[in-house]
Formats: sequence, C-alpha cells, structure tokens
Amino acid sequence: MQARLTGLNEKEILLYLGYRGQEYPEELKKQIKRCEAKVLAEASPRLVWRRMPVDGTDFLSLSLEGKDVGELFEGCCEAVVMAVTLGQGIDRLLVQKSVSNVADAVIMDACASAAIENVADNFEADLRREVEAEGAYLTDRFSPGYGDLPLDAQIKLCAALDTGRRIGLSLSPSLLLIPGKSVTAVLGISKKPKRRRERGCESCSLFYDCRYRKEGKNCHER
Amino acid sequence: MIADIGKRGKIVMRDKIILDGGMGTMLQAAGLGLGERPELFGMEHPDIVEGIQRSYVEAGSEVLYANTFGANAHKLAGTGYAVEEVIAANVATAKRAAGGRARVALDVGPIGELLEPLGTLSFERAYEIYAQVVKAGAADGADLIIFETMTDLYEVRAAVLAAKENSDLPVWTTMSFEANGRTFTGTTVAAMALTLTGLSVDALGINCSLGPAELAPLVEELRQWTDLPLIVKPNAGLPDPATGVYSMSAAEFGRQMARFPKLGASIFGGCCGTTPDFIKEAAGCLKNESVNTERKKLRVGVCSSARTAEFGAVGEQAGIGERSSLLVIGERINPTGKKRFAQALRECDMNYIMERAIEQEDAGADILDINVGLPGIDEAEMMTRVVKAVQSVTLLPLQIDSSDPAAIEAGLRACSGRAIVNSVNGEPEVLKKILPLVKKYGAAVVGLTMDKEGIPKTWKARVAIAERILQAAIDHGIDREDVLIDPLTLTVSAQQEQAVETLKAVRYIHDKMGLHCVLGVSNISFGLPERIRVTVNFLIQAMCCGLDFPIVNPNQKEIMDAVFSYRALSGADKDCAAYIERFANAASAPNKDVTSVSYKDAAPLPPAEMTIEAAVLKGLKQEVANLTKGCLETKSELEVINTELIPALDAVGEKYERQQIFLPQLINAANAACAGFDLIKTRIAERGGGSLSKGKIILATVEGDIHDIGKNIVRVVLENYGYQVIDLGRDVSVESVVEAAVREKVSLVGLSALMTTTVSSMQRTIDRLRESGHPCKIFVGGAVLTEGYAMEIGADFYAKDAKASADIARKVLG
Repeated sequence: MQARLTGLNEKEILLYLGYRGQEYPEELKKQIKRCEAKVLAEASPRLVWRRMPVDGTDFLSLSLEGKDVGELFEGCCEAVVMAVTLGQGIDRLLVQKSVSNVADAVIMDACASAAIENVADNFEADLRREVEAEGAYLTDRFSPGYGDLPLDAQIKLCAALDTGRRIGLSLSPSLLLIPGKSVTAVLGISKKPKRRRERGCESCSLFYDCRYRKEGKNCHER
Repeated sequence: MIADIGKRGKIVMRDKIILDGGMGTMLQAAGLGLGERPELFGMEHPDIVEGIQRSYVEAGSEVLYANTFGANAHKLAGTGYAVEEVIAANVATAKRAAGGRARVALDVGPIGELLEPLGTLSFERAYEIYAQVVKAGAADGADLIIFETMTDLYEVRAAVLAAKENSDLPVWTTMSFEANGRTFTGTTVAAMALTLTGLSVDALGINCSLGPAELAPLVEELRQWTDLPLIVKPNAGLPDPATGVYSMSAAEFGRQMARFPKLGASIFGGCCGTTPDFIKEAAGCLKNESVNTERKKLRVGVCSSARTAEFGAVGEQAGIGERSSLLVIGERINPTGKKRFAQALRECDMNYIMERAIEQEDAGADILDINVGLPGIDEAEMMTRVVKAVQSVTLLPLQIDSSDPAAIEAGLRACSGRAIVNSVNGEPEVLKKILPLVKKYGAAVVGLTMDKEGIPKTWKARVAIAERILQAAIDHGIDREDVLIDPLTLTVSAQQEQAVETLKAVRYIHDKMGLHCVLGVSNISFGLPERIRVTVNFLIQAMCCGLDFPIVNPNQKEIMDAVFSYRALSGADKDCAAYIERFANAASAPNKDVTSVSYKDAAPLPPAEMTIEAAVLKGLKQEVANLTKGCLETKSELEVINTELIPALDAVGEKYERQQIFLPQLINAANAACAGFDLIKTRIAERGGGSLSKGKIILATVEGDIHDIGKNIVRVVLENYGYQVIDLGRDVSVESVVEAAVREKVSLVGLSALMTTTVSSMQRTIDRLRESGHPCKIFVGGAVLTEGYAMEIGADFYAKDAKASADIARKVLG
C-alpha cells in the first residue's frame, strides 16, 4: 500500500475557510484553484504503518490510555498503527506565503488540511478493502487527541513506527507533529462486524482548530 | 590488520574499509521492544550488544558503530540517565567486542527534534547537544565520530561543527535519501557533498534509505561533487510495510554491494535489516573488487540545504555555452542607500526583509547577497537573525556580505549550506583575518581588486591584486575554483575611461586566470539620466567579457531580460526554453516592480467605479497602489490613511462581520490595502520623516507553537490600521516577549497559541509580563482559546478574529 493523494474536496476546503453560503465570487474560485494546484505540486505524501496482534490496548508494547481506545479495540484481534504526512515542502510553502501573501497562505493551509485528510482516508479505504477481502472488519481510525486518548500518545505512536527515520515525521516538545500536515492514528481489526463510531467532532482531526465547533456548531449534522 | 582510518583527511581511498551492519534489527531479535531506547537496552544487557558486535568483527567488520545512536540530551530526557554514562557504557562495550581487531566509532544519529526554521530546535541548541555527545565519546576513547541517518543538512552542520570544535577525531557523515535523490527535508546529494566537503569531514556518504541497487545512482551523483572517500551503508532492500521485515538474502546483498567500488566508493556496511551474515557476504564479494580512483573534474557550486547554484566553466578553453553559465546575485538585502530597508533593520522588521528575499527569488535571482551593515547595530547578531529569517522563506544559496570578520563568521555559521563570502581585498591584514573563516566553513570567496592604495587605475594593476588574492587563498587551502574576483565597477559619468579598464580586467581574469568574475553592475550609471540603459548595456558587455556572477537588482525587468537573452544566445539556456517561457506571453512577463503585481486572479474594474474602497474590497493591489499615488497629489499621507484606506478596511470588516464575505476575501482586501500603506511608508522613510504609527503592538506565537497563520492575518490587519507591529515570529520564548515589550516600551501585546499544549506557555508569558511590572495590555487568540479561557489565564482581551484585534487596538491605543 502506498500513500495516495487523489484529490482535494472543495467543500471541505470552503468549510475550513469559514464559508457559510456567502457570495463566492469567480476570482476567489480561481485563487482557490491556483492554491490547490500549488499544494498538490508541493505535497509529497508518505505513509508508514504496522499491523500486529492486539491484546486489549497493549500492542507493540504500547499501553494506550483512555476509555475510548479501549472501546475501539474491544473484540479486535489485530491493530494497525499508521502515520501519514505531506512532507516539509508544504510547511515551507506555508511559511513563505504567510510572509508574501497571507490570503494565499490561509487558502493553502486549508487545501493542505484537505490533502492530508485525503491521504489518511485513502489509506483507510485501501486497508479496509484488504481486511474485508480476508473476511474481517476494520474499525474507524482514531488519533491522539480524539476523545479521551491523550495527545501525548503521539510520542508512543511515533516511536513505535520510527516515523523520523521512515517518513521524516517528528514531534516537537509541545507535541506538534512536524511536518504540520500529518496524521497518526490507530485502527482495529475484528472478526465480527463492529458498530462504526459516529463520525463526530471528537473523532475529527480538525478537533482543535475547527471554528464551527468553537461556535457550538458542527459540520456533520447539517 | 586493523583498518587504517588515518588522521584527519588521510584515509587512503583505494583501501576498502568494511563497517558493521544493523544493530536495531539484531537487538529486536534479542528482545528490544519497538519504541524502546536501544542505548538503554545496551546498558542493561551489555553482553547481548557485545555478542552482536563480536559477531560483526568475526564477519569482517573493521569499524564497529558503538550503540550510541540516540544517546543525546533530547532523547534521553526523562529516562533518568545522563548522556555521559550512556555513552561511556556503550563505547566500553564496543571496545570489548572490538578487542583491538576493529576501530570503534562514536555513532551519532539525529537529535530527534526538527531544527528551525520548520522545527522549534535552534541551531545553537543543536550544536550544544552534539558538543556534549562528542566530548563524552572522545573522553571514552572512541576512534572516530560518525554522524549517520541524518536528513537535515542544517543539523549535520551543527553536528560537524560541534565535532570539529570539540575533538580531534576523524569525522564521517552519512545521510539518508529517498529514491528521488533528496532527504525528507529536501537536502540533495549535491548540497550534502558541497557543504560537508567544505566543512572538511574525512569521509561522507549514504546510509539507510534504500537497498544497494537503489542507492547506486545516488553514489554516482555523489562522486561528481566530492573527492572524499565515499561510504555506502544500505538497508537489506525494502521492508514489508505491514510487518517492517526485510526479505533480501545476505547473498543477494553481497552481490549488490560489489558494484560500489567501481562507482568510486571505498567504505561499506549495512543498515536496517542487515546482520553479520550480510557483512560477511559483502566482505567476500568486495574482496576482489578494486576501488575506482579515476577522477573527472569535480562539479563546483554553492548551495542551501536544498538548492545548488552550480558554477560554470571558465577560461579560454571553456566552450561558449559552459563558459556562460551565469548566476545572478540579488543585491536588494542591503541597507546602503535604502532608507526603508535601514528602518526595517533598526526595527528588526524581519517580514520586510523576508519579502525582499521572496521577490528576488520570484524575479529569477540564483543567489542572494545579505548585507546588514548599519551604524549603531550589532552587525554579527543581526547577520545571524537575517540569515535565519531569509532561509525560512527561500532556498536560494546566500552570499554573506560584510567586512567585519565577526559578522562574516556569524553569517557563515547560521547558513544552512555553502555560501560565498563577499569580500576580501588585496590587503594582507584583511586576507589574514577573513580567509581562515572562508576555509573553516568551506565557503567560496569574492576578492575585490583593491588595497589600501585604493582601486588601481589600470586593468593590469587590478589583475596583479587578483593574483595576490588568489595566491593567499591557495595558501589557506582554498581551491582556486572557489575564488571569485570582482574587478570593480566605477561610475562612467565620473571616470569615463574606467569602464573599459574594468571590462579588460574581466576578460583577463576570466580567460587567462581562469577565475570566476563578480561585478556590482549598477554603479556604472550613477548620476546619469535613464540609468537603466547604461546599466544594461554595461552588463551585456561585461557578460560577453566573462562576467558570470553579476550582482544586480533582479526586480528590474530590463536587467533580467538581458540575462535571459544572454543565456539564450550563449547556449546556456538549452533550446531557449527559459527565454521562451519568460516571453511567450510577453504581456504576463514579470512586472517591473514585483511587489505590486496586481492580485492576479481578479478582473479589473471599469475606471469609473474604481475607488480605493472598491479596489480594496476586490483585493486589487496594483490598483490600490495607483489610486493611493493619485490621492497623495492632493492629500497628505495621514489624510489618505484616515479618509481613504481605513474607511475602506472598515467597510470590508463590516461585511465580514455580517458574513457577507468570508475569510480569504477579508485577507485579500487587507493585502491590497497594504500596497497603499507600503507606498506611504516608503515615501515617508525616503523623506527621512518620522513614523505615522498610531502605536506599537507586539505580536508573537508563543513558545513551542509554530502554527502562526492566524497571527499573520492579525499582523496584516493591524498594520493596515496604521499600527507598527513588532512581529516576533513563532515559537517565541517567554523571555523574548518580555524583553521586547520592555525595550520597545510597548503597551499592547498580542499572543497566539493553537494547541492546548502551548496555552501553558501563553500563560507563562502573561505571568512573566505581569511580574516584570511593565505596564501593558495583553490580548490573546488562537484555535483552542475562548473568552472564558482567555480571562482565566489572565489576558485583558480575547480576540476571536483579526477584526476583533483591530477593535482591541483601537480601544487601547486609539
């Protein structure tokens, strides 16, 4: 399985940009298209993952904390740990644009968020296909910072996957993933079908910077 | 026989050296858990590590890597172990295993935290971390130091400098590349070779990354850029992604390794997935291969960590096309004669300087000259700041421009790749002070053909000085390819006969001495009307004589037109591709002033409807600048700001609040208004007039946080409202904020944090500002904050968006 960036969801980009049905002029559309193209050109998506037997929430000798991750792995016989990143080119682009053209920077930031979601979604879909072909079932993916899985679980996931060496992904002391447009997550594999979790705010990787959530709204119930 | 790793620089290249293979792989087989620290495992189980290393010696390894890869202060933090004890124990184990039959290397990997500008670890801190490791390893009796599996050239520079300045041991370095020839951070094979050969490491190469077959083309590339011994230490092919297991056989690995001596490599080992069997097979297969020591002429250039500006050939023998490889040095980062730039330096306004870097790159510069000399500022300290700031927004190689040795060293140190030093001259005192720095940091150097007698009148006398400079450089161990001569441009309106003398000197230096030529071109036309015509004509004549490093303002269209034309005519521009790209759509060729290119996605408004407000709302930069210029004919600067620009911004802000427009439009409008403000600021600065500022505001993204787009939006908006924003950047330490607030007597400070983990440093910053007793109001913003949270951590205001920040500023500062 390879990291695949197959496209950007424009609706998602507009959501990140705070679009609420305002007028959407042609020149802004063009600007967004131009920014999308730049982000697609600069992104070099990378993936590292491991599939291993699971015993509760202890796999790869990781003990993940929290009730939610326990629920995720209930009844699972295997776990998958994954990390994806768009690479440093995107970070560099965003730093440069935030000096020379802040509007482009904001739009490219949204495009890059959509891009990393796409890469993570594609991996999940590929894996799901593989797992289902084996007659098993894959849970949703769950990231540090979702629900009650603490953010410092990043440390364990990155160490277990050796992300620095494998895909150039490191963690800052304040637990920022660097490159910034990166996702780490765990998924479970079970022999019996499991009820999929609601696609809600707490399982969204935009949990922290979603302006809808801050306003007490959400995007998934509309 | 024990491998002869020699004293510094003395490895005999035709002698092959066999290294060891994977350690992590073997330790995992012996019970090391994933994510567990191998160095600590080695302290608890020295017998296991010794056993593995012994079997490497038996397999033929002549150099053992001690189990010290991650033994640094960052990775050991919180483990309860000191760096020194971990290194001592693991070096001792390796020495026991070697038993006098192999050398022991202090093995040093990446720190594990990314360096600035994209990460939060400073270059200086990285140096300290490595210095500690190096001192410990040297004290424990390691035979050499190996930096391996590196991906960031900036980090390698910190490491190598730490090794050279804190020990006498040989230093080897290897980096990890992807199949595209770049590391994860974008470092190229060429940039690694140029930078590390410049820093005088003893051997360099590639480890980890890929299998032997995939590394072969990278080794071939590497051979073209350096004459140092080359190291190849590949993985056992590619791992199974689901399990991480490598499946290549030892015999296959050995067969594939046998190709490398022919490619000129002489030091061999294995990385992930390789075992003593692999080393045994490789040693066997390599035994009868002899190292190809034939050398073609090396390729030369300067570079950042990710981009190389390759020098062309020089001398009469060089083909026309080769000879004319032309590298444009952008001159705009320089306060001389530029009041607005000088003001930016005094105010530490890095954004203004970074914009100058970006626009020159966009205009086609190949190298950026950095000059920050200004009376009353600490040039060395400023050089470090500016070099780092420029490197955060462009990958162009740099030319460090100063006559102050301390500033030159500061610039060279902070540089991510290999730079040019501008300049030395024929004065022995100057040569003696600066050439050792050029050599130490492996830079190229510009020599001005002048001395304390001044600039000689004749080309011959200038050439004589050039000869002296060249000889001094060679005496300091600098290659002649790295010596660039500037025979100096004089003003034709004042000393008419000197233009021809300069051209004659260029021709001689290029053709007969076979050296590269540099000229600051624009001085030629000083004092004449229509300067650009004479400047361009002189540029073309000089290029024809052999000028291959013109120092120019690349933002002037006519200059770059001449450069593109020259490259097409000389054959340097293959199939005229670059020329055609530039002019195919002549109407869209870069504008004369790159900063004011109009917002390119918008259709212009009909002239009758064109007011500043309409142009701002539509985000039309060029139009706003033009209209502002028009208004200034009848109104004062202050009037234009208060009656035109600010009301326009208010109108946009109101539309945003009523959700008639959304974020990108708000920022486009602010950007466009900026074009008007910039024009006014430049006018005032050139007049030497005071500031129009309504007050100073500090903005910073707090320590540990590097997401600063939100802060940048606030900056643009506040600047547009006429406030002077001191933007301290991102990941700003608590102390820096307090220090700047006190020093600049700022009464409003804005802090931004995106993560729950960094709100704590926001709180610490607020606490320290309060403790300092400096009277100021504090506003905060960022994704995780809310009004309630902001009050809880002691802020005075919560800014939910950029518009709210402007309202707060108005309340506090008026």
